[in-house]
Amino acid sequence: MNPDRKQPRNMLMTKRLNHYFGERQVLFNISLEIQEGTRHAIIGPNGAGKTTLFNTITGKYRPKNGSILFKGKDVTGFKPDKLVRMGLGRSFQINSTFAGLTTFQNLRMAVLARKNIRFNFFRNLDKMQPVTDETDTLLARIGLAAERNLPAGLLSYGKHRCLELSLAMATDPDLVMLDEPAAGMSRIETHQMVKLIRELTHNKTVLIIEHDMDVVFSLADRITVLHHGEILATGTPEEIKANQDVKDAYLGETKVGNAA
Amino acid sequence: MKNSFRKWLLWAAILAGLYTAPVLFGVFELNLLLGASIFALFSLSLNLLLSFTGLLSFGHAMFFASGAYGTALVLTRLDGCSLLSAIFVGAASAVLVALVLSPLLVRVGGHTFAMLTMAFSQIMYATVMKFSHLTGGNDGMSGFPIPPLVIPAVGLIDMSLERNFYYFSISILGLSAWVMWFFTRTPFGSIMVSIRDNPDRVTYLGFNVPLSKAIILGVSAGFAGVAGSVYALFQNMVSVDGVLGPLSSFTPLINCFIGGLGTFIGPVFGTGIGTILLELMSAHPEQAQLVFSLVLISVVLFLPGGAIMLYWKITSRWIVLRNKFQTAILKGNHES
Repeated sequence: MNPDRKQPRNMLMTKRLNHYFGERQVLFNISLEIQEGTRHAIIGPNGAGKTTLFNTITGKYRPKNGSILFKGKDVTGFKPDKLVRMGLGRSFQINSTFAGLTTFQNLRMAVLARKNIRFNFFRNLDKMQPVTDETDTLLARIGLAAERNLPAGLLSYGKHRCLELSLAMATDPDLVMLDEPAAGMSRIETHQMVKLIRELTHNKTVLIIEHDMDVVFSLADRITVLHHGEILATGTPEEIKANQDVKDAYLGETKVGNAA
Repeated sequence: MKNSFRKWLLWAAILAGLYTAPVLFGVFELNLLLGASIFALFSLSLNLLLSFTGLLSFGHAMFFASGAYGTALVLTRLDGCSLLSAIFVGAASAVLVALVLSPLLVRVGGHTFAMLTMAFSQIMYATVMKFSHLTGGNDGMSGFPIPPLVIPAVGLIDMSLERNFYYFSISILGLSAWVMWFFTRTPFGSIMVSIRDNPDRVTYLGFNVPLSKAIILGVSAGFAGVAGSVYALFQNMVSVDGVLGPLSSFTPLINCFIGGLGTFIGPVFGTGIGTILLELMSAHPEQAQLVFSLVLISVVLFLPGGAIMLYWKITSRWIVLRNKFQTAILKGNHES
């Protein structure tokens, strides 16, 4: 842990972030360090401010004070689209796909984004074969080839969730931020989801919000516990499991109750 | 193969019909068709925002008016201005208005967008009245020269001739409609449709949504401007109530709804229905709005896809019937 070597290996760093909804403070001095190549989970009870933290980091909200460093660059106040172009990908807690477009068209948007085809007014997209091929490859990879021409809104929940994850991943981001990817899934679906996350995020830095403790402990290298907008603890899964504050506030609530 | 052949046949029939219209119809009907073609283009430009980007504009007349006034002004003030440059000036002024307003308009959506466009359209009305030395205020502008269309190697085509102007206007509509249609098929067009579906996701894919919306607004305004410009040439007059009146922004909107949202043929269809309806009711103008409203209510309630949906329903029913018939025959053959 040489401090000189540590600095460039930081993928994401937040320094004393504070955020308010009107008068109410929802984030208190959030300082995070996400090392390159790690999977970092954020856990905490409902209303702890996890999604707000995601929205603040990704530029949807501007923090009242504090700063955000992405790949060593100060990106405080950057808009989401700019951050995404710098190599950030995000999935949402509630599916955020193009429900009226087909699965193919959904993924094609991501392919366009990755290939940096934006302000092209002179070509027929349907006739751009490389884009079509790449989209079909992607469809096969995530196992949605059979649903190619089905509107995303008609996909089963589990498959829709896969598409949501793929949209976050399809721009080939360096930092992936996943907001409860396994929310509302059955045991089997969750298991498949974890497998897909492992596959797609190989060698990438991941910041993940999750309620499912099995998912968290099977995926994460490091865990941060958020409680009432404050960081309660950060550490390895073992450290978090052993942490008394965390047990009291969140993890061990039922166990403590049982013991008493 | 068979399908595309039928499609070509349909297009050929439409083109032939439009081409022979001046022979078949008198001046009155031709004028009706001309007016309809202009409003069809206006409706199509609105449809680009409404159906493809999901933005409801209540003030699209301001772009139409910019086109009309731009063309009228340049023809009044500038001697020897050619026809196409006059139309270009009209379209450019509409795009300019859109770009000036875009910093405010692109950051909002839904009803805020609708209300903002309506308010800006009112400001436009006030501005036109204020600069009456240029725009003629309440009296409007009229009597400006209509230059001939110059086609290299063909010569001059006199635009004051009803028939020539009709062909010109139809060509402008066809060309503009094709450009807009192609626009929706490009990669940028897919960004447009995605913004309609989920602007947040578009942002989180790394696309600049406000900038994209500004471009779409500019394109839509440009075509509305072309429509306004051709309207000014057609009427040889622009009046503030004619292009910026209370119904100016709503007529194309109603046409889109009656014809069918989400398609290119719908707004054209709707404009046709609207024009015929108004004409049929022209003897009773006081009841015209009532009939129009009743038609709109029935379409919105019972035919959400618009009149074009009715056509599709009928043809698909026909196909089902035909298939049934064919299978029955096949079965009969098999059994015998």
